[in-house]
Amino acid sequence: MLSRVADSLYWMSRYMERTDGILRMLRINYASSQDDIQDFSWRPVLRIFSYLNDEQAAAISNRSREVLQYMVTDRENANSVLNIVTRARENARSVQDHITKELWQCLNEFYHTVRDGNLVRGLHEDDPVSILDVLIRQGLLYYGVTDVTMARGEGYAFINIGKFLERGVQSADILDIKFSELDTARMDTTYWKYLLLSISGYELYLKTYRSGFDARNVLELVVLNQDFPRSVLYSVKQLQNYFERLNTDHNREAWQKLNFLIGRFHSRIKYSTVDSILQEGIHTYLKGVRQDLFEMGNAFNQHYFAYS
Amino acid sequence: MQTTELLNSYFAETAGWDEMYTDNNVRQQYRCVLDLLERMTIEELNRKEELAKKMFMSQGITFTVYNSGEGIEKIFPFDIIPRIITASEWNYIETGIRQRLKALNLFLKDVYNSQFILKDGVVPTEIVYSCPHFLREMIGFPVPHDIYVHVAGIDLIRDQDGTFYILEDNLRTPSGVSYMLENREITKRLFPDLIPRNNVRTVTEYPDILHRNLVALSPRQTASPTIVLLTPGIYNSAYFEHTTLARLMGVELVEGRDLVVDNHRVYMRTTAGLQQVDVIYRRVDDEFLDPLVFRPDSILGVAGIMSAYRKGNVAIVNAAGNGVADDKAIYAYVPAMIRYYLNEEPILKNVPTYQLDNRDHREYVFANMNSMVVKRTNGSGGYGMLMGHSASAEEIDRFRAEIIKDPRQYIAQPIINLSSAPCYMHGRLRPRRIDLRPYALCGPGGIQIVPGGLTRVALREGSLVVNSSQGGGSKDTWVLAS
Repeated sequence: MLSRVADSLYWMSRYMERTDGILRMLRINYASSQDDIQDFSWRPVLRIFSYLNDEQAAAISNRSREVLQYMVTDRENANSVLNIVTRARENARSVQDHITKELWQCLNEFYHTVRDGNLVRGLHEDDPVSILDVLIRQGLLYYGVTDVTMARGEGYAFINIGKFLERGVQSADILDIKFSELDTARMDTTYWKYLLLSISGYELYLKTYRSGFDARNVLELVVLNQDFPRSVLYSVKQLQNYFERLNTDHNREAWQKLNFLIGRFHSRIKYSTVDSILQEGIHTYLKGVRQDLFEMGNAFNQHYFAYS
Repeated sequence: MQTTELLNSYFAETAGWDEMYTDNNVRQQYRCVLDLLERMTIEELNRKEELAKKMFMSQGITFTVYNSGEGIEKIFPFDIIPRIITASEWNYIETGIRQRLKALNLFLKDVYNSQFILKDGVVPTEIVYSCPHFLREMIGFPVPHDIYVHVAGIDLIRDQDGTFYILEDNLRTPSGVSYMLENREITKRLFPDLIPRNNVRTVTEYPDILHRNLVALSPRQTASPTIVLLTPGIYNSAYFEHTTLARLMGVELVEGRDLVVDNHRVYMRTTAGLQQVDVIYRRVDDEFLDPLVFRPDSILGVAGIMSAYRKGNVAIVNAAGNGVADDKAIYAYVPAMIRYYLNEEPILKNVPTYQLDNRDHREYVFANMNSMVVKRTNGSGGYGMLMGHSASAEEIDRFRAEIIKDPRQYIAQPIINLSSAPCYMHGRLRPRRIDLRPYALCGPGGIQIVPGGLTRVALREGSLVVNSSQGGGSKDTWVLAS
C-alpha cells in the first residue's frame, strides 16, 4: 500500500472518530445545560475540543447556542465538525480507490449534510438535539459501512489504528479535564452522570458499580475497564490487535520499533490500578498516557507514512 | 395534451440537422424514448431531473471550484434525454476512427524516427518543428509495440446535412470517459427497463479493455505487473475520473510525490518499502511529467521518469510527444497522412481548415471573418477562440492583430452549424447543439472503440460551443445494436 494512502486512511479515521466524540459530547452537554440553568459552563468541552484560550472560552461558555454553532458549523474553528468532516472527506477523496464506494458515498453525504444551510439554522432556532442526532447517525452509518463493506486488508488495519489511537487520546483528555475542573465545578452525581452519558458509559457504570457515583469508579471505568469500548485499555488492546496485522516480512525494522512502543504502553495501562494512578497523580498519569500516544502517532508518521 | 406541451415548438426551433426530428417526423431510433417521455407528466420528468442531480452529488461525481479559499462542489450539467446513434451510423464512425488512428499512430512513429512524410513533402517540416508539443526527447526512441496513442478521444460533429466531421483528435490525455460510464449508470436508474428495450450496446467493458492493454505493455515479464494511474491530485478538475478509472481497473492511483526513480527504474513508496512500477497511465501533461527534462518547476511529475522511459524500464501511456499529432495546424494534414500511409481515401471528413501562416488562406479568412471560427493551434477547452458570427468588431480586430503577430498560432474554419438533439428544459423539449467524443483504445491486439462516448451539449440557446467551461453539459450516448 502506498504510504500516502495509509496516511490518508489513518487521518480519515482519526477525524471521523473525533467527530463522533465531539458530537456526543455536545449532545449530552446541551441536555445537561437544560437541566441545570444556574451556572452551567461549557468550559470543559471547549477546553477539550477547541483551541480557544481561557478568555475567549469564557466569553461564550455560558451561551449554549453560540457554543454549538462554534463547535459544529464555524468555518474559523479548525476543530468544528464542519471542518473535521471536510478534512475526513478530503482524505477519503484522495484514496477513493482504496475505500469502498459505499464508504465514500457515506462520507460524501455526511459532508453535504453538515454543509446544509437548513441544518445551521436549526442549530440556532429549533431543537439542537434533533440536529445533533442527525449528525451522530451519519457518523454511526460511517462505522457500520466501514465494518460491513471494507476488506480486512492493510487499509482496514490503518483505519482502525487511527480510530483507536484517537479514541485513546480523547478518553484521556476528557478525564483529565473533567478531573481538573473538579474544584471549580459543583461536584455531584449529575457531574459524573453526564460525563458518562457523553461517552456512552452510563449504563455500563450502573451495572458495574451499584453504589452511586464516585470519582474512583469513573477513573477505573474510563481507563481500566476491558469491556468499555471507550476505555484507554480497550483502545490500546484494539490498536495492538490491528497493528499485529501489519507484521510482514517487509519493513520489519519499522514494525519492531512501533511494536515496542505499543507493547510498552499496553503494559503500562494493563498493570495500573486505581490506587497506583492516584498515587502518581491523575493529571501526571493521564499526561503520560497522552504523551505515549503522541509518540506512537509520530512513529507511525516517520516509519509508515513518510513519503515526501 | 402533454404531447403538445412537451414538444410544443420543438420542430419550429430546430434549424439544420436534428437528431430526433426530420420533416415533421420522429426518427425511428427516438420513437421508443419519446413515447415514454410523452406518457410522463411534467412533474415526473422534473423529479427525474432532480434525482439525477442528487445522484451526481451524493456519489461525489463533482469537480471542485475553489473560490475564496473554500471549495464549492459543482456537477457537470447532465441532460436526462439520451442521444441515440443508430447501428449504421456507428459502423461508419467506427471504421472512420479506426482508419484515422492507424494513420496518426504511423505519423507519430514516422515523425519521431525516419521522417519519411517530411522528406516526401507531404507535411511541411516547419509546421512540425514549430509545434511546441514536438518533443526532441522522443526522437529515435522505439516505444513499446510502436504504439503512441493508447487512448484517444476523437471529437466528431455533424453539419446541417448530417455529415460527420472530425473536429479534433485528442491524443494526449483525453478526459471525459468517466462521464460516458456514469451517465449510463444514471440513465439506468432514471428510466428502468428502457435500455434493454432499446437494444443499447453496453459501455461497461471500457475499463477492462484499458486494463488489458496496460498489462500487455509491461516491460517486465511478470504475471502481475504493477500498473499505476498518475494523477495531478485532488485539485485537478478531472480527479473524479482518475479515481473512477483506478477503481474500475483495480490499479493504484498515485501522485508524483508517491513515485521515485532510482537507477532508471520507477518505484512507488509503500508502507512495505519501494515497489517497482511497470506501466504508468498518466493523466499529467507532457510538460509536467519530468522536471529534469521539461518544466523544472513542476511538482506534479517525477524526476528522472523520462530516462526510465527511454531505457524501456517503464511504459508510459499515452506516449510523450503525442501533441504533435493533435496540433490544430497539423490536423489539416491528417487526410493527406491517411492517403500517404494507408493508401486509402479518408472515411471521415475533416472540417476545411485555413492555415493562417499561408498568405492566401489568411487573406481569405480576413475577408470572411464573420463566418469563421478562429482557434489557437494549441488551445483547448473552448478558450482562446473566436466565433466570427457572434463576435464584436473589437474582438475581431483584436484577433486579427494577434494573428498577424504570430500566424502559426492560429487556424480558421468555417462555422459549422452543429446538429441538435432534444434536451429537457423546464417542462419542454428544446433542441440544443451537440458533438460526440467516442473513446478508442489501442493495444498490441489492435484498436477497440467502445460503442458509446461522451455527447457534449451546448445548453445555452443558439450556442455552438459545447465545452463545459463555456456552459456545456453532457448526455448519455446510446449506440443501438440493431
